[in-house]
Amino acid sequence: MVGEEYRRWEGDMEALYVYTAGVAGDRFFREIRDNERLMGTYCPECDVTYLPPRLYCETCFSELNEWEEIPNKGRVDAITVAYVDDKGERLARPKVLAMVRFLGANGGLIHVVDLPEEDVYRGMEVEVVYLPRGLRKGSFLDILHFKAI
Amino acid sequence: MVGIGYEGFPRETPHYSFKELTFEAALKAYEDAGVDPRKDVDSFVVCEEDYWAGWSISDEGAPDQLGGVLRPLHTVSGDGLNGVANAFMQIKTGYFDVVVVEAHSKASDILTYEGILTFAFDPLFYRLLNAHPHFLAGLEMDAFLEDHENTEEDCAEVVRKNRENARHHEAASFGGQTSVQEVMDSEVLFRPLKAAEISPLADGSIVLVLASAEKARELTDQPIWIRGIGWSSDSPWLETRSLAEARYARWAADQAYRMAGLERPRRRVHVAEVDDRFAYKELQHLEALGLAGGNRAGALLREGFYEMKGDLPANPSGGSLGVGNLLEASGLFRVMEIVRQLRGQAGEHQVEGATLGVAQSWRGIPTATGGVAVLEA
Repeated sequence: MVGEEYRRWEGDMEALYVYTAGVAGDRFFREIRDNERLMGTYCPECDVTYLPPRLYCETCFSELNEWEEIPNKGRVDAITVAYVDDKGERLARPKVLAMVRFLGANGGLIHVVDLPEEDVYRGMEVEVVYLPRGLRKGSFLDILHFKAI
Repeated sequence: MVGIGYEGFPRETPHYSFKELTFEAALKAYEDAGVDPRKDVDSFVVCEEDYWAGWSISDEGAPDQLGGVLRPLHTVSGDGLNGVANAFMQIKTGYFDVVVVEAHSKASDILTYEGILTFAFDPLFYRLLNAHPHFLAGLEMDAFLEDHENTEEDCAEVVRKNRENARHHEAASFGGQTSVQEVMDSEVLFRPLKAAEISPLADGSIVLVLASAEKARELTDQPIWIRGIGWSSDSPWLETRSLAEARYARWAADQAYRMAGLERPRRRVHVAEVDDRFAYKELQHLEALGLAGGNRAGALLREGFYEMKGDLPANPSGGSLGVGNLLEASGLFRVMEIVRQLRGQAGEHQVEGATLGVAQSWRGIPTATGGVAVLEA
């Protein structure tokens, strides 16, 4: 990468962080880990249930304290199949990703769908599959993938 | 708008630092406007982002290459068209007569482009998916094609058109003859998005000089007027924004058209430069800008409506697909190109008789932020 004719040096900007889940995120990930359920926050002012949950409403700026359980079943709204990995290298097994919407929730979740790409279609019903209890850490990856119902 | 200058747009510029790229563009813009930055410019706006520069707090390094040392300068961490909006507002206060806007891409210095985009996703959610950031473009394109009356072939057609147009742009790096079939046959990376539909990166700097109406008439016989400008963002959360529709562009256009008093834009606008960093984005943006008779951008494209010789040439410059993805300078490139068209200085890609044009920007994956400017000769 370093040119012969012109001086160029490789360098990096190493930066490490601890990311804080926050009040809403903490409850969301805790519910996934302990109870295998998705929880959203409800805005009575706007009659909107946010998934993922937030502490405040982006429309009216109310503080949100009401929690609602979201069903573990949803519908595929958009699909893509990644044939390359995060660095652009060809994947041995393509990764099917979908935006899944849930009845009664505004928002949704993007995650891997554990099906051959040709079997996934818009509108299909899928279910959230969680990691086994002992392996869950209270993170987004406690959701393993979506599977067909 | 009284001055434009650019340095670019090759795949790489190993002989220039990013500051020198800016210096070269600035010299041209100041000569074009007939201004001395050390005496005549009241304020500078630089659009840049630390991670693209590979340099923390990089705004501290912005003034000298523009002639802006010890002068008012602020940066906008966003696309160049937002910088134009900032400059426009400064001039409207009445305290500033001449304001300079700059944005650049030194993409060839970035060795981990995908990594920087990945860092723009929520660290507690989708960054953990360990997926290439363009997966979001794949999802958007899928939703767009499902909801709107366009096809994968229409998106491929955009690539063909823009690469063809870029053959006539003096500084484009990716002009050429590409058939729709070649695009359709290119590697599928994020289905339905294909390799040929992703604009390649290029280097360059763009500098624009804006002035108040009174000052503009003093400086030039041929000022280009900003009749309207607006910018907007859809929800910051991927889950609550529209994947299928570019609502940010529609809302920004609503503002800009209202300011310009522009109704029925599809019939009145002579030329448009819109964001085409991914081929589907051009169609999505034309529809959001009201330049497609609803959701009919693909059909109009097939009829030749957006070709160089069509009723409303879209991206006669070749856009990002033909010229290259200029990162935060992408929107500024589109404004500059409209200025060239309205001045009649677009050379081989001149749209005959253009007096009213629209430039539109998008900040790129994973944002839903964009701006629109209506310009008139």
